[in-house]
Amino acid sequence: MSKETEQILQNPAPPADALDAPFPSKRMHVNLGPSHPAMHGTVRAVVELDGENIDSMKLDIGFLHRGFEKSCENVTWTQVFPYTDRLNYVSSIMNNVGYSLAVEKLCRLEVPERAKYLRVLTSELHRMSDHLTLVGAMGLELGAMTVLIYCMEARDILWDRLTEIAGARLTSNYARIGGVARDMPDGWQDKVERTLVRVAGLRDEVDKLLTRNRIVMDRLVATGRISRADAIDYGFTGPCLRAAGEPYDIRKASPYLVYDRLDFDVPVGSNGDNFDRYLMRLEELKQSERIVRQCFEQIPPGDIVVEDYRYVMPPKPQVYGTIEGAMAHFKIVMEGIQVPAGEAYSCTEAANGELGFYLVSDGGGRPYKIGVRAPGWNMLMALPAMLQGELLADLIPTFDTINMIGGEVEQ
Amino acid sequence: MAEETKPSAPATAPPKPAPPPGPPPPKNPGFVTCTIDGREAVVKPGTNLIEAAHAVGVDIPYYCYHKRLSIAANCRMCLVEMSNAPGGKLMPACQMTVGEGLAVRTDSPRVKDQQRATLEFLLLNHPVDCPICDQSGECKLQDYYMTFDHLKSRLDVPKVELRKRVELGPLVVLDEERCILCTRCVRFMREVAENPQLGVEARGNHSFISTFHGQPLDDRYSGNVVDLCPVGALTSTDFRFRGRVWFLSAARSLCTGCSRGCNVFLDYMKETTFRHRPRENEAVNQDWICDPGRLSYKPFNDRRLLAARLGHGPGRPAARAAAVAEAARVLKARAAEGTLALLLSPVASLEDLLVAALVARDGLKISEVHVGGRPDGWHDDFLKRADENPDRMGLELVAAAFGFTVKPFADLARAVADGTVQAVWAVGAEVPEEAAAAMVAKAPDLVVQATNGGPLADAATVLLPSSPVPESDGTFVNFDGRAQRFEMAYWPRGDSRPHWALAGELGKALGLVARWSTAREVFEDLGRRVADRLGDYRWDSLPSVDRRKGLVPLAAGTVDGRLPGYRERMPLDRSGNVEWDRLPNP
Amino acid sequence: MSKAAIQRLKERFPDAVTDPYEGVGGDAVAMVRKDRVREVCRFAKDDPALAFNLAPYITAVDFLGSDPRFDLVYQLSSTVHGHRVRLRVGVPAADPRVPSVVEVWKGADWYERYCWDMYGIRFDGHPDPRRLYMYEEFVGHPLRKDYSLRGRQPLIPERVVDEAFRGPGPAGRD
Repeated sequence: MSKETEQILQNPAPPADALDAPFPSKRMHVNLGPSHPAMHGTVRAVVELDGENIDSMKLDIGFLHRGFEKSCENVTWTQVFPYTDRLNYVSSIMNNVGYSLAVEKLCRLEVPERAKYLRVLTSELHRMSDHLTLVGAMGLELGAMTVLIYCMEARDILWDRLTEIAGARLTSNYARIGGVARDMPDGWQDKVERTLVRVAGLRDEVDKLLTRNRIVMDRLVATGRISRADAIDYGFTGPCLRAAGEPYDIRKASPYLVYDRLDFDVPVGSNGDNFDRYLMRLEELKQSERIVRQCFEQIPPGDIVVEDYRYVMPPKPQVYGTIEGAMAHFKIVMEGIQVPAGEAYSCTEAANGELGFYLVSDGGGRPYKIGVRAPGWNMLMALPAMLQGELLADLIPTFDTINMIGGEVEQ
Repeated sequence: MAEETKPSAPATAPPKPAPPPGPPPPKNPGFVTCTIDGREAVVKPGTNLIEAAHAVGVDIPYYCYHKRLSIAANCRMCLVEMSNAPGGKLMPACQMTVGEGLAVRTDSPRVKDQQRATLEFLLLNHPVDCPICDQSGECKLQDYYMTFDHLKSRLDVPKVELRKRVELGPLVVLDEERCILCTRCVRFMREVAENPQLGVEARGNHSFISTFHGQPLDDRYSGNVVDLCPVGALTSTDFRFRGRVWFLSAARSLCTGCSRGCNVFLDYMKETTFRHRPRENEAVNQDWICDPGRLSYKPFNDRRLLAARLGHGPGRPAARAAAVAEAARVLKARAAEGTLALLLSPVASLEDLLVAALVARDGLKISEVHVGGRPDGWHDDFLKRADENPDRMGLELVAAAFGFTVKPFADLARAVADGTVQAVWAVGAEVPEEAAAAMVAKAPDLVVQATNGGPLADAATVLLPSSPVPESDGTFVNFDGRAQRFEMAYWPRGDSRPHWALAGELGKALGLVARWSTAREVFEDLGRRVADRLGDYRWDSLPSVDRRKGLVPLAAGTVDGRLPGYRERMPLDRSGNVEWDRLPNP
Repeated sequence: MSKAAIQRLKERFPDAVTDPYEGVGGDAVAMVRKDRVREVCRFAKDDPALAFNLAPYITAVDFLGSDPRFDLVYQLSSTVHGHRVRLRVGVPAADPRVPSVVEVWKGADWYERYCWDMYGIRFDGHPDPRRLYMYEEFVGHPLRKDYSLRGRQPLIPERVVDEAFRGPGPAGRD
């Protein structure tokens, strides 16, 4: 029962001016069901409301649980890649790269330089598309539909570039154990340059539309706040953690691939509210652009896969022409690559935070266990705490800015 | 005499030097202690180095070595660093026996490079045949290539071309291009089969395996060279191109060709058996099976009886339950008259016979049993026995345990001919003699449990379809009194059921309590009656097999419905769930 | 640096933290006794030299056929020092109960629910021990190795929902 209702019951005599009478209210349960345009990726939230304030929130997940870990235990190591695509399906190359880094750690493989640069390049392009998705969806749900259209256009032209190199817009399946699948097509670098310019233009438009917008600021500033200590305690990583003020980025703290040779900044927020998280994404778009340009300058010519037929399929002329190639092809396809027994945990800075893969191998061709540390999980877990006492309308932008992607949270 | 001069010892002879110190006493008396890759191996003197390494978990690769054949040391794949090598040479491990205090290294860079180089040489002229070679999936070239030489080919000239399909004999085909001249086949035929039909012809680079001109490779053990051949040079005409080894699962089974019960692997996929491969058993068949035994799987697939039938000849098909009811009615009536005879086949397993005997004695009041079975065949002094029935000893044990008198088949034929026997219940339709079988077939009521068509099965008035070896678990007792277990590969096909299940259903229809749903339960319940004659046989006595090659399937089955394949078997019940208590010991 | 962290943990809990080793790629790993997990984790978080402040990634591995059957894995990391450590806890099938570390890190909450849901490992002291992905009536624990990949579930009756929103009604009632 709310305070006002208690007052009414205790003082049954109405006050003089009926307009000033306290308004009786009671708790209301609202079900933001799994099928809801704003509940990204089928999450059910049962919200207990006191008027318009959220009193408590119960999250129900599992509607998108597809059995990623169990399915991966049943296929070979290389057949896992399409499954990883569908984890964080908005930035799938980062999942591929994260998984292949973990397997290469177990196999003690060193990837050629060109492959490393290609991985970083395409990962950053997908990071940009992830952030654009977030900003676009957030704009849409706040009522700014133009922002959605601009971001979708930016994302779409980025995906066109990615289609040219990886073969698919969304589920790229680009990384391989030992390198990457394909090299850059001719003329791709110029196209990407032009795309980046256009994306930057669209990003600036979005910035102008949203960042100093009265409505947006009213809705985002000081909503969905989380303190720095709480964010760490909940295990936030990535832009959400940095928005709360903790300057932790795996690309700087323990660099992997070629991030130690690239010059980029890591934006850090201060308030840990929705507005800071939104600004983080815009800033990171700028930084990713810098990284992509530097990769193009630094990328050396060379192989795109390590030339070790225990892990990498030989090129087709060798498969059909030499016995070694034929045997390697057969063994890899039918038995799977033989990853030495052991366990390894490898993490990368994905668009959303620390994407970790925990692999256990029994020495055979199939993974014994694949565990995914999904970055969006921790933010989702903290949502009820973040929204305690906030307005119902604040739930929507909070859901947007923590970038919970159903695929990775529910595997 | 006092002044005898003794001859003085010559002053110039130097004192004899002390003899060199003998070898230090062995570290473990009675055994030889050596160090392989830092691990200490304590083995009996005279142990081959490859075997000693295997004992401590070090796998030295080899092609031409086989533990039951003489040493050829011509493949050079097993070269290792040994501390007693003359001049520091790499020595072939297959040719060396262990010595006290020996230190062997198989993982040094020199050895690794040697293994890589040997493999490269072997592969230089090897044809690119993997897509069409039967050995794919069990080929040592493929396996060793991935482990020891994973580099690309450096060959830039065309490969040598030789004859691709030489039919050496009725069961064996030679592909000369794939042969690496390890001579395992030659040594096998000479030493084990004792019939030297294979030899190496020509010399040097032009050598090839061949039989003597114009002579076929027709020895009855020629099929073993197919298993021995580490590459796909010698392939079986029977299995050629019929299936990919990767998709076959292996059940540990027994050959049913004679009373030796050679241990085999029964390779199957879905509900078809593809081949028999020998399984190692030092006491029974070492590593070998005879050619007819190799082909003895064919009746499991072909011309099977999969539906019950009422009436002679074509008759009319019936549901098994109806046929069982009719059989029970007939048998009960004839048993009351006293004109019923029981015919047991020594091809049926111990469990089959135990249930049939129980039903016969308790449900039908029968006290004597006639023995059918296959007629005697050829025999030799190696593996094949004349008695071509796998379970004759089992039948004798069951008859003794139930107190039956054992009568020969001829007696049954006579009894039917002169009318004292009007009905026969045949568990297994194998008959030792055509003429007598024809006489028995004239019985007015003939209830036959059979797997394939034959004289008795065709003449049956009630035909119950039964399942052969791959479709049930069970035990055979061989001529030596050795009880051996075979395991189920796939569920009974069609309407057929194992003999024990059919007999159980008959027993239930006759009013007995049916209390077994698996062969294991039959053995645990009824096997006690013969257990004292089976020595230390246990139901869970199947030896473990190497499970690590290829895709080890998920413990809980596969996602796409395809059987696990590749020498693995996960017993799945009819709904596709894993039956954990039926899993063979890992 | 991570090895030093393991050393420090081992010195502080010599009987609870055992068998430290260096895994593939330089990962520092140690085994922890099941009943002391909470203490070890609290020390790992509170000690300034260790400062494993970020909520860990907790998962489990089912080694069917081994004893202990489950291996509970805690992947700890620190934003202060930047080091990472892996703690492995052997959980036997006969007694799959482990003290919960939710009171050490709030973010361990859902990971422990996931381990219960998928592996059947119970956490003592967990505030909300429900299944995470699966519905409550689910039978079995899916990521165990003996759970069939194509396992079927029994049909469950429709749940009675007693918290449905009933409409406003006149003020003062319910």
